[in-house]
Amino acid sequence: MTLTETRPEAEAVAAGDDSRPATQSSAPQWTPPTGLARFLSTGDHMTIGQMYVVFSLVLAGLALTLGMLMGIEQADIDGGFGVFSNANEVFQVFGLYRTTLILCGLVPLFLGLATALVPRQLDASSMAFPRAAAAAFWTWLVGAITHIVATFAYGGLGSVQAGAAREQSVELTVLSLGLISLGLLVGSGVVFTTLVTQRPSGMDLLQMPAFSWSMLVATGVWLFSLPVLLANLIISWVDMRGADALAFGGGGAPFDQVAWAFDAPQVFAWTIPLLGITAEVFTSAHRSSPKMFEPMAFIVGAFGFFSFGAWAQSFFDSADPTATDAHVVTSEVLFTAFALAIALMVVAYGGWLAFNAYSAGQRPQITPQFALVTVSGALLTAAAVTGVLRVAEPALGVLREADGDIWRGFFDAMDDLETSSLVNGLMNFAVLAGLLAAVAGLFHWAPKMLGRSLNAPLGFLAVLPLAGGAILIGATDVLSGFFDQPDRPFETGSIGDIDALGFVEALNVIGLIGYVAVLGGLALVALNVARSLATAPTAEAESEGAT
Amino acid sequence: MADIPVGTPLAAPLPRQRTLLVGTVFGTAATLMYFAGLLGVYLRERSDALSGGGEWIPSGANIQLAPPTVAAWTMLMSVVTMQWAVYSIARDDRAHAIMATALTTLFGLSVVVTTSFQYTEMGLVADESIAAVLIYTISASHLVMIAVGLVFLLLMAFRALAGQYSSRQTDGFVAASIYWYAVVFVYVVIWTAIFVLK
Repeated sequence: MTLTETRPEAEAVAAGDDSRPATQSSAPQWTPPTGLARFLSTGDHMTIGQMYVVFSLVLAGLALTLGMLMGIEQADIDGGFGVFSNANEVFQVFGLYRTTLILCGLVPLFLGLATALVPRQLDASSMAFPRAAAAAFWTWLVGAITHIVATFAYGGLGSVQAGAAREQSVELTVLSLGLISLGLLVGSGVVFTTLVTQRPSGMDLLQMPAFSWSMLVATGVWLFSLPVLLANLIISWVDMRGADALAFGGGGAPFDQVAWAFDAPQVFAWTIPLLGITAEVFTSAHRSSPKMFEPMAFIVGAFGFFSFGAWAQSFFDSADPTATDAHVVTSEVLFTAFALAIALMVVAYGGWLAFNAYSAGQRPQITPQFALVTVSGALLTAAAVTGVLRVAEPALGVLREADGDIWRGFFDAMDDLETSSLVNGLMNFAVLAGLLAAVAGLFHWAPKMLGRSLNAPLGFLAVLPLAGGAILIGATDVLSGFFDQPDRPFETGSIGDIDALGFVEALNVIGLIGYVAVLGGLALVALNVARSLATAPTAEAESEGAT
Repeated sequence: MADIPVGTPLAAPLPRQRTLLVGTVFGTAATLMYFAGLLGVYLRERSDALSGGGEWIPSGANIQLAPPTVAAWTMLMSVVTMQWAVYSIARDDRAHAIMATALTTLFGLSVVVTTSFQYTEMGLVADESIAAVLIYTISASHLVMIAVGLVFLLLMAFRALAGQYSSRQTDGFVAASIYWYAVVFVYVVIWTAIFVLK
């Protein structure tokens, strides 16, 4: 029996059944909990989905605030520490920005949309395991709050301060990240199982709406990624339990071990649902349904396959990367091939969207969600192009081996990109693309999720800072990467390598403006949601809601 | 389409949604990926240590092959009893299904005992070598996996005692068996990668 089933007593009362013994009629009737108890005990997919969305948007806002603080710090690179007091604090916030933005913001936001909408899209009454869905949410939320508190209590994913005593809060940070991963994994399992088993008879997998299909692919890829992340964290934690951490729990090793989750190609895996949301919003704006669904489904599946990145763990690279038999994962053929394949899939997906726009034969209806998915697509393309730039040197390395003088300048410029802030730009482009698409989904499905439409003019007002800010954040990181700004700002020893320091600092200030803009945009979205919730739900909103 | 004569029996109902089975397959696959991650790190570190000319297992440790081999055979025997339980419940033989589940549970418990015995004998100090950290992490994770499997099996056995499963509804037993086969598979991989290769 699921939590969403009607209790027998209620059914009997509704049916006017007076055949029960008199003793039962005087028994206290069950009434659904209200207030906080309702949220704590709910197994209703819509309520759980709404809670995911609210908390993940708040945590994404927190992550962007951390990014802003990093931006202030980076605005004066050679002037010592400003916002933070030492390199270790920069390291803590650097790690927390990534974990919070992706695992506490983006992924749960997609899971929230899926938890709320997938049963609706499949015409199912609830999720496959409603209690597990609730348990996943609370596990994730407790993990996320603990993770943030532990990091601020001088924890973080390790320490880069030489000779510093290991804090217990570091262990708590690692454990809490494990809890977050576990919660997301269970949530993914619930969504996956719902998609496979709760479809109405006659609906095969390729007849599902595009968002549902993209969630099936996404949860499938997350199924293969999150347990590996959990394994990395457990190894770190066990190593920390000893008197001295040996290899996995000391220094910055805990972060280095999980860094693959915030880097290409895995960073694209967290954004897979973006493709489904874009397909639905885009075709809806053209007042048509997705045409040529199978090729789109294949592209999304292939994008998912090539975004699996648990194998690309730089932590296990050879200690001496210049040795003849050195293993450096980002220089491997597979890494290069995956980056190129991702770019190819993004181009193919763009082609599919163009085909649908052409087939619709009419101009799109410009809505906030349409504007958001358009910018989101541009950001994803920028991320894919950045990924190609990153592997350009190893990809074209065969030319250098044939003749070292060919494009010497080009290769020299490309050589240092791997450890430059271009890598951060790639992550920011991809994650912010996902965030914008999720916000677009919120606008698109607000009538279903909230019972009310969101205000369109206020929505357009939010699009501008969200889009502009996201572009500024990613573009300045990529550009400063070409001037050798290091990808890890806490490694102060690399500051001397930066070319045109003043220009890079100016770029960082522009990036800082980007963070402020995106935060402002998110605040406008929150205001829009609050404003809509303050109005009475309308029947029209429900009937207008996209499926 | 031809007319359907009056009195024709209705078509058979569509197959049930196998929610528990799909959920278990998802969970089992996630568990296998977790161990793939652990064993990947183990084999990588071992390879690095040996290619550098160093030793992998500390010289003071005494990792014998006999206890894990006994445990591996016990696990393999539990595959037979697990399949016996599925076979029995599919034929409405509830008594044999419960007996086979109880035997599988006993086999699982005996592996826990064997592993605990080996912990006391092998003289491997957890914080003195990378090998020790990884061996304890992997084997303890497998003990947790066995514990989850035992709870799953006992739950299915109690439900069978209450009459829930029969030839018309075997999902619970089949789901438990899928998970249990994964437990056995992981142990065989651990036995090979850690105890045979050392």
